[in-house]
Amino acid sequence: MIPDRTTNDPNPPTRVVRTRRGPRLLALAWVAFASLPARAAETPTPETLQLAAEVRTLGWITWAARSPRGDWDLFQMRPDGSQRRALTQTPEWNEAAPQFSRDGRQLLYRRLRRSEVISGNRYGEQGTLILARSDGTGERQLAAEGELPWASWSPDGREIASLSLKGVAFVEVDTGRVRQVFPRRGFFQQLTWSPDGRWLCGVANSFGTGWSVARLNAVTGEANAVSKVDCCTPDWFPDSQHVIFSNRPPGQKANGGQGWTQLWMAEADGTQRRLVYGEDGRHVYGGHVSPDGRYVIFTGNPAEDGDPEHAGAPMGLMRIADAPLVGGESTELRTLHPTARSGPVLTLPHGWEPCWTFSDSPGTSHGVATPTPP
Amino acid sequence: MLRPTILLLLASLVVSCGKAPDGTQDAGADPQVQSLGQVEVTARLVELPEGAIFQRELYDYATILKYEVVTSHRGALPKGTILYVGHYNPWKPRPEAADARVKEIGGTLRRFRAGDLHRMALESPMDDHFMGGIVNKYFDQHTGPTYWARWTNPAH
Repeated sequence: MIPDRTTNDPNPPTRVVRTRRGPRLLALAWVAFASLPARAAETPTPETLQLAAEVRTLGWITWAARSPRGDWDLFQMRPDGSQRRALTQTPEWNEAAPQFSRDGRQLLYRRLRRSEVISGNRYGEQGTLILARSDGTGERQLAAEGELPWASWSPDGREIASLSLKGVAFVEVDTGRVRQVFPRRGFFQQLTWSPDGRWLCGVANSFGTGWSVARLNAVTGEANAVSKVDCCTPDWFPDSQHVIFSNRPPGQKANGGQGWTQLWMAEADGTQRRLVYGEDGRHVYGGHVSPDGRYVIFTGNPAEDGDPEHAGAPMGLMRIADAPLVGGESTELRTLHPTARSGPVLTLPHGWEPCWTFSDSPGTSHGVATPTPP
Repeated sequence: MLRPTILLLLASLVVSCGKAPDGTQDAGADPQVQSLGQVEVTARLVELPEGAIFQRELYDYATILKYEVVTSHRGALPKGTILYVGHYNPWKPRPEAADARVKEIGGTLRRFRAGDLHRMALESPMDDHFMGGIVNKYFDQHTGPTYWARWTNPAH
């Protein structure tokens, strides 16, 4: 049975409080641990500190990470990494793939049995889809296990688009009524509805390569490729005209000839593809652009797929205006992009698939909060 | 003196009843291949394009392979038809290919080799049965349906 974490009851039974005390103490311990700098050996540069100050009050980031109890939970923090707190505390379940509604008031995520390993390619269809307020309260299960796969918010938060073998479905959140379905045209994962509601982006197999990032017209169902070769985790810029995505350019010599995945952006019609961030020795993906389009947060990991089967890896945050950036030594990458800068990049805690809202709604959380770390 | 010869000839016809001239009617048959899917054929794998099959543990994919029908067991695919068939994670032996993403596939084939005969139970179109990365070295080279391999046995 999925736990009911609805906490809008002003007078919850005392026994509920008692049963929550243990997990809450554990969560506090984790928060103390998580407040440590993610890369203790690194001394922040003045540029990094300036970037942190710039984003500190710009809303909230929610992400999935492994808790001290070994399950995956959701956490929230300010974009500079401060005010971290646990959002879900469910040791018998894994939670992953959080997604704020565009107004920042609601949250979608998937909840899996603890025994089920989160798959970097199937997470959108694993477990059940959960709807909650963006502070983590008032959660409810929207459909049965495996249903409403790859759900993505409509601009007004009243519908979700869902991608399955049957096609792309637009579903009313309140009633579950399917308003429209059209063919999926080769799209198979990581569907995201554009902020203006006119488009969807996702990963498709219909352009002659296995993993293309593509755009689908939400009215006509027509599709075009944004970037064709070895791409995934697409997401929209707030203007609905640009897409950020991960890309493993062919021809790299590093990593045994398989190369490293980098963060790229392009016009949504597939033109002007360009590097945003790359680092030899680290696969970079899961880019999520801030609601004002000025920053991007991402996941990076030496292993493939963000390593959700293990512990994830430090997330990063940078200015779009500073792109292209190349991290680390990255000899091969710097040769290809000689004008690329080296930073600043803000190192954030270990995590996977973060999302960002400028709304203060998450800040009203009834969950566990701690003072901002130094 | 002619009677035994005629009898032998008749007996031979009875024994070979239902068997294709090239001897593929029974090869590779099992209950799964004879019941799954809409179509059942024995077909020759025409070629194995470079890069069509590779092992990338974390990236499940299907590859499209080109076949020529040798014998049609079920469905309307006459001998000589060129087929394009999607196989899931083709680097894995068929008995080990099914997983959480694609549950309803299998067979006894352990390795794909150009020129080999495969007895296959097929579905069509592939998009109704598989949602994932596709390696298609024949992209834009054919306009007909792409089939989805439900069950694949060697047929030799």
